[in-house]
Amino acid sequence: MISTFFSHELKSFWRSTNTGKSVAIKIVMGVLIFILFLYVLALGLFLDKILGAVFKGQNQTIAFCGILLVYYLFDLISRMQLQELPTLKVQPYLHLPVKRNSVVSYLALTALMSFFNLWPIVIFGPFVLKVILPASGGLIALAFFVSILSLAIFNNYLAMYIKRKANLNGWVFLVATAVLVLITCGDYLWHVYSLRNISYAFFGHLITAPALMLAPLLLAVAMYYVNFLYLKSNLYLEELSSKKEAYKSSTEIPFLNKFGSVGDLVANEIKLILRNKRSRSSLIMGLVFMFYGLIFYTQSVYGEGFKVFVGMFMTGIFIINYGQFMFSWQASHFDGLLVSKISFTDFLKGKYLLFTIVSTVAFILTVPYVYFGWKVVLIHFIMYLWNLGVNTTIVLFFANRNYKRIDLSKGASFNWEGVGATQLLLSFPLILFPYVFYLPFKYLKMPDVGLAVLAVIGILFIITRSFWIKKLEADFYTKRFKIAEGFRNK
Amino acid sequence: MIQINDLKKVYNGVTVVNVPQLKIKAGESIGLVGNNGAGKTTLFRMILDLIRPESGEVLSNGNKVAGGEDWKNYTASYLDEGFLIDYLTPEEYLYFIGGLHEQNKPQVDEALLGLTDFFNGEILRKGKYIRDLSKGNQCKVGVGACLLQKPQLLMLDEPFANIDPSTQFRLKNILKEQNKKHGVTTIVSSHDLNHVTDVCERILLMEKGKIIKDIATSSSTLSELEEYFGVGQIASYDGVDKEENH
Repeated sequence: MISTFFSHELKSFWRSTNTGKSVAIKIVMGVLIFILFLYVLALGLFLDKILGAVFKGQNQTIAFCGILLVYYLFDLISRMQLQELPTLKVQPYLHLPVKRNSVVSYLALTALMSFFNLWPIVIFGPFVLKVILPASGGLIALAFFVSILSLAIFNNYLAMYIKRKANLNGWVFLVATAVLVLITCGDYLWHVYSLRNISYAFFGHLITAPALMLAPLLLAVAMYYVNFLYLKSNLYLEELSSKKEAYKSSTEIPFLNKFGSVGDLVANEIKLILRNKRSRSSLIMGLVFMFYGLIFYTQSVYGEGFKVFVGMFMTGIFIINYGQFMFSWQASHFDGLLVSKISFTDFLKGKYLLFTIVSTVAFILTVPYVYFGWKVVLIHFIMYLWNLGVNTTIVLFFANRNYKRIDLSKGASFNWEGVGATQLLLSFPLILFPYVFYLPFKYLKMPDVGLAVLAVIGILFIITRSFWIKKLEADFYTKRFKIAEGFRNK
Repeated sequence: MIQINDLKKVYNGVTVVNVPQLKIKAGESIGLVGNNGAGKTTLFRMILDLIRPESGEVLSNGNKVAGGEDWKNYTASYLDEGFLIDYLTPEEYLYFIGGLHEQNKPQVDEALLGLTDFFNGEILRKGKYIRDLSKGNQCKVGVGACLLQKPQLLMLDEPFANIDPSTQFRLKNILKEQNKKHGVTTIVSSHDLNHVTDVCERILLMEKGKIIKDIATSSSTLSELEEYFGVGQIASYDGVDKEENH
């Protein structure tokens, strides 16, 4: 039975719309995952060198044993944020004559199919083979492998268990997160204890007493069993699913009322962003990008040319990140929009207004970078104008060429739905255009003139916006059937 | 109200809709019937300018629907959940639709009072997003949004399919009232022959993209339709009976 489940699972992966229908996307996806894998593998292969460099003068093995538990602590934190519960997949089997035990073990076993369980082996495996195996022999190396794997599995099921409990009661998640934060702070902030010492206390002894590997193994088996029993007694859809039943209140955004029907459209889109998982994470990504400047501005290697780039990203990340999937976000109700009394001009004006609002907020958030000099803020402002003028128009031009549906209810991590050639093509003008105008002046030793040119172009586009809206509208009318049809294809 | 000339739609070499000529006068109530794949929804979508016909045109009040905006002012339609903005609460959605037709909130609230029975206390102030409603309740929101627009042309695709018997009954009354009292032209598709013959005065029967029957409803219409749809079944019942007789 379980093998049938697994064959269904494989089919669901390859046939899912998330995976992408075209071969090109599968290849790009494969390459990206492979590159990520290579990076992690490189980290694993050179872990001994890295440890030697970071913990100077310390024995590599001691350092290695020290970081293991720290890794698993952060592993658990990120699992709780990112790992998804394999739940609703069992719905088609619940009413069939399939034993509950096989359904539950299927659920519990598929939970193991996560990248999180692969990383510890890739990162720590090479070190065990390179350093511990020659020094201490096969049995000890085996003990390390068993412990590393067992802890990963333990974390896997612990995260699942916490998440499932949290579905029924939101407080569980908060308490669990608070505990993890306290554990972290206890070491790094308050120095009450040292996780690295605790970690070494266990893994260090593993070298002299390999039988200790039974402890993590037991923990993993116990956690699996707890999960198994919990699932078995709660095999009801409403308890498995991740929907929370809270009262959803209607809200208004009074500020937008003065924009009339355009404001209504923007209010709807803001609700779209906030009430759906994937769009919400694109907004959160934007907030994370606000720290982008800290990476570049703190290092003098990067000159002013880089600030153009960084400034554009920080003030316009939302335009790029959210805009690249326009109008796919509205795919599920696009037919409704087309037949209702909305003129496409208003629709486009709504998009411009939305971009303006979010970019303005982003610009204001970047003002503290004035710490790195007033010119940084000036460049940000110029790129803010550029974003509002040029990038919005580019994004909307490509939005007319995007025919891929997005299912809003699915999460963002490893979600390839709606990704196509459009997004790739879009990135070229977005990244290259500012440099096309800026770099020539820079090499003529007149970087300030280059900045001025960018500002003037940005302002020109903002002033002539109604002209671009007309152009985009005419363009849309030649493509709308194709767009609507693409959005209807699930 | 609606005139269709030589309308044709082809998918992968198969003609799914082929209507040489069809006229719908203002104030008519049209029932569209036909088996799955007969082309009902495709015809609806072409009348609403959602898909591009291979050839032919649809005129609404004498103007081409394709590329036009004018028809949107007096046409309300609900084909499927794709017409609803599912992350809004029903109230937000209805206010939004009302706003598009220059109605403010009190006006919308007043109009919704007339729908209290139809909504049956399951739609408003429930604290749910539209996506969390059942299909039947989503249909109620869609139909409610249509009525809110005070349309001259109302198009519903299988509105009876997911709603409960009481609501079916209420919806029939609403459709009759809209048609008789307000002179609204209604086009409704359904698989329930009792409902369409009850509500509609003119029945269009589609088969493989063609309108093969265009009949004014009379007392014999229901049995005529039942005969058409029941052909295969009656034959097989006969077969069973014979075997049992042996």
